[in-house]
Amino acid sequence: MSEADGYRKPILLDPKQLDAAAPTRSPELPAREFPLQQVSDVGADDETADAGRGPSRKGRGGWRRLFGISVGAVLVSGVSIELYRLLDWSFTTHPALGAVVSSLLLLLTISGSVQLWRSFRGLRQLSQIERIQTDARALLQHKGQGGASALLRELQRHYRNTPEEQRLNETIRLLDSAYSDSEIVRYLSHHALSEQDERARRCVQRYAVESGVLVALSPWASFDMLLVGWRNLRMLREVAGIYGVAPGASTQWILLKRVLHNLAFAGLSEMAIDAGSAALGSSLTATLSARAGQGLGAGLFTARTGLQAQRLCRPLPLDQVDQSLIKSVAKGIVERLGQSKPAE
Amino acid sequence: MGIGGRLKSWIGDQRVEQLRDRLAELAEQSTEHHLRLAVTGLSQSGKTVFISALVHHLLHAHRSGSLPFFDVATSGRIIGSRDLSDESGTPFPLQQAIAGLGREPPHWPASTRELSEVRLAIRYRRPPGLRRVLGESATLYLDIIDYPGEWLLDLPMLELSFEQWCASQQRLFEQEPRLSVASDWLTRLRQVDWHAPAEPALLQELSGTYTRLLHRLRSDPYALSLLQPGRCVLPGELEGTELLQLFPLVLPSWPMGAIPDGSFLALLKSRYEQYRQQVVRPFYLRHFSRFDRQVVLVDCLKTLNRGEACFEDMQRALNGILQSFNYGRNGFLRRLFKPRIDRVLFASTKADHVTANQHHNLDRFLELMIQDAQRDMGFEGIATRCMAIASVRSTQAAEAQVDGQTLSCLRGWRKDSDEEIALFPGEVPTELPRAEDWTQERFRFIDFAPRRLPQNELQPSHHIRLDQLLEYMTGDQFR
Repeated sequence: MSEADGYRKPILLDPKQLDAAAPTRSPELPAREFPLQQVSDVGADDETADAGRGPSRKGRGGWRRLFGISVGAVLVSGVSIELYRLLDWSFTTHPALGAVVSSLLLLLTISGSVQLWRSFRGLRQLSQIERIQTDARALLQHKGQGGASALLRELQRHYRNTPEEQRLNETIRLLDSAYSDSEIVRYLSHHALSEQDERARRCVQRYAVESGVLVALSPWASFDMLLVGWRNLRMLREVAGIYGVAPGASTQWILLKRVLHNLAFAGLSEMAIDAGSAALGSSLTATLSARAGQGLGAGLFTARTGLQAQRLCRPLPLDQVDQSLIKSVAKGIVERLGQSKPAE
Repeated sequence: MGIGGRLKSWIGDQRVEQLRDRLAELAEQSTEHHLRLAVTGLSQSGKTVFISALVHHLLHAHRSGSLPFFDVATSGRIIGSRDLSDESGTPFPLQQAIAGLGREPPHWPASTRELSEVRLAIRYRRPPGLRRVLGESATLYLDIIDYPGEWLLDLPMLELSFEQWCASQQRLFEQEPRLSVASDWLTRLRQVDWHAPAEPALLQELSGTYTRLLHRLRSDPYALSLLQPGRCVLPGELEGTELLQLFPLVLPSWPMGAIPDGSFLALLKSRYEQYRQQVVRPFYLRHFSRFDRQVVLVDCLKTLNRGEACFEDMQRALNGILQSFNYGRNGFLRRLFKPRIDRVLFASTKADHVTANQHHNLDRFLELMIQDAQRDMGFEGIATRCMAIASVRSTQAAEAQVDGQTLSCLRGWRKDSDEEIALFPGEVPTELPRAEDWTQERFRFIDFAPRRLPQNELQPSHHIRLDQLLEYMTGDQFR
């Protein structure tokens, strides 16, 4: 070994001395130790970044946070006092009534805590996905080898005890020893997630077409908004479920917030799609009635929401924007309307 | 005299033939989808193995799943492929090559001595979209030719007159190792009076010596690439004809005065012109002037093993060759009338001969070698990319404990002695090593015998990045 010269000499080895066990898998084994340090580095980076952002946020949001905490405290104490009084009153009225009320309260506590636990899990999974996505984006730029094993572990942890676990493990098993980090990410993205992508796509398309048709056919204009909102929430939950995120109210809420945020601050590529779909919409609606045009708009909006949700819930970054989805949604709505017209 | 005859008398035989070929091709192309893939590479860079493996994988792409990064195959859109090579007069010996690689023990195909053609028809389903109107499925015809890499080196001669060619050879022979190896021949050249009337016997003797000299420079301790004229090294069907009695006049000073008729000089000059017109030009026009995509195969490991002179010679040869191709954007009409290459991939072959963590370095090293050509193509707006590939994987990744450290290494069978070895072949440098670093002990890239390539049941582990190469070269064609 002549590290002083800056390179390592070639070495001929005895084939029998090699670690014979699973030679194709083995090259990844030594690399596994290094990423641990990298992971902690990335984490440390995040912390420092947060610390840099921290003080200003505290300065701005101090009062607001205080307000939130105090409102929460007042509400919680008010509700618990009321509940205590309810319990007290029911027991003094009749022991049977007391038993009924206390069992109801117990039920409430249990179901509430399960809900809470679920939503926490969903939130944790969402942040896990975000972390995996960041890692994967970094790896996509990385040409070398040996950085991907941490990502693989994270992915396996994310899909543990889900129906997709087997497929993921199968794909990881098929990974070639010659792949570089970026190739591993692309390979997984293509092969481990393709089925989920397809399901998510079908789901988004179904909901988009449904909401489009519903809006087009609904007689009350004020009802439309509720309708679209309801379908969108259902779709968010389903898309999250497809990618292995536990569906819960808080997950749904966070997702909705992020989706709306992304839609509001859409990048240039999305703007282009929007413009395209708007043009498509206008050319199609010219031949349709105004109501059908509204339906089309609502359907396209739902489709875009679904795409954003997919992008947020997918553990690996979505490499290309699926333009054909928008088109097929528009086509689906127009077709459905065409079918429903003669029935009217 | 018919119209054909009259046309011939007007614009010359060759032009008419060419025109007729072109028109026939045009009629074909407007109804079907063609892609002509240029596989460019010096001799021993792995063209034949590359073409065999590529075609073999493509022929099984509809069911084998051996090309995970080739989108049209993974999405199950390939219906089937058919080998149409037999339609051409000189079909590529695919069965032979595949059988050789599939035998026990497997062996590499013999080096190419003749030109041959592959035509592959790939039937695929169109993706959803507007083009579906044209039909649910479509066929892509992929044309590839295989030829001896030595002949490729003749292409730069098309641009050079005899004097220019001699001058360029003069510059080459001023440097080692050519200078010392060729010293006898060079002194012999100086003794001849080039203005004297030609003596066929002497000319034959000199050209014989030159041919032997080329063979020596090509073989092992030197392993040079830029050996012109290529047909002297590998004559093909021209074996023993007078056309090949040709060599450059490498003289310290060009013979002064007018060239008398019938002199040595006049004869050599006319031979050179004949060679250009009758050998190189038809070869170029028939096979090299019309391509859509190009793969340039480079054996970087050979240069690392052999040293700086070999590296520089290969760099010069590659850059010279790449000047001969037409590059530019390829629109629809241009593709019909005068196609140009609009996408180039530089592939360093034998990536399986280094450990996987060196592939990126191999890419960088390849970039060093072809940087001039790549810059020119970039100027024309051509997309280029470097990729480390192995058409047929011959080694297995393994690891060993050396001095308490885990070392990735390769395990495979030696090509020459067929014994199993394990090797850490050294690291590929990402910048040009200094003169004193080109030592024997730094790199030891050994030629491995292939692992068996089965007839069916192909796996992604039978190649390295052949699928990504296909995706880059042809992926946008499956619309």
